[in-house]
Amino acid sequence: MPDTLSVAPLGPEILGGNDVSSFTQISNKIIESTIEIFTDMVMMEISVAGEPLLELAPLKRSITGMVGLAGVYRGVLAVHFPKQVALEVTGSFLGMEVDEINDDVQDAIGEIANMLGGNLKTILSDRGKDIHLSLPSTIYGEEYAFTSQADAEQIILPFQAPAGVFYVEVELER
Amino acid sequence: MAKNVLLVDDSSTMRKIISRSLRQAGLDFGEIYEASDGQEALALLEKETIDIVLSDINMPNMNGIEFLREKANRPAIKDIPVFMISTETGDDIIGEAKSLGAIGSLKKPFTPDKVNEILGPIM
Repeated sequence: MPDTLSVAPLGPEILGGNDVSSFTQISNKIIESTIEIFTDMVMMEISVAGEPLLELAPLKRSITGMVGLAGVYRGVLAVHFPKQVALEVTGSFLGMEVDEINDDVQDAIGEIANMLGGNLKTILSDRGKDIHLSLPSTIYGEEYAFTSQADAEQIILPFQAPAGVFYVEVELER
Repeated sequence: MAKNVLLVDDSSTMRKIISRSLRQAGLDFGEIYEASDGQEALALLEKETIDIVLSDINMPNMNGIEFLREKANRPAIKDIPVFMISTETGDDIIGEAKSLGAIGSLKKPFTPDKVNEILGPIM
């Protein structure tokens, strides 16, 4: 695993530059979507764990699932889970015991990112037009940083699960 | 008579969740077959007796739209109904799926109650 993962958002200006109100609306809808996904499909109660963050410290013993957006909106949606939280989430999602990061965990975390990415696409464009969603991918490791190379609007939403805090990150190119 | 179902999704997690939701929704179905993309789905449709397909859209190798297009060109399987289950909810992509023969769509995430409400009438 690389020590640092650089994520380059994929294109030109979006969101009208520093459109804070738009980004706040996106954040609120992502919070709703995250809680809906966990309640309806993961079968786990979660809650918002404080104010949004603008950056994350390097992630330790974690797994990140992500999808990219391309087209009229360009960026990335990522979910960052500490290992123990990822194991608990996958166990609840699949209804089985999971004690290591394996294919099931990677697939489950990738699918959570995929569902959130689909919702983000709908949030950004009601008809889903002209926005393309990549297939989900995952990374995990002892320590890695998730950073943007380009000038991007970014927000990180913390959530409390029974086993700990996890983060949903939205990064959209300015 | 219980219908045999083909689940098409690149996520093994999602295939398990859909299977579980069908059971929890109390729907009457026979065998459940699984494919991880459109190509695998086409091969299974030509080999097995399958009554309905529940398919994702965003998949590697052959996505759900390409699958519908290819299936429509194969006389032996073209009339097997396909229902889309996807995070993709935009009018354009769902509209394209329906124009290619999809009979409906269900948005992820979903609950067993929603599965029952949407899929019950066609199962």
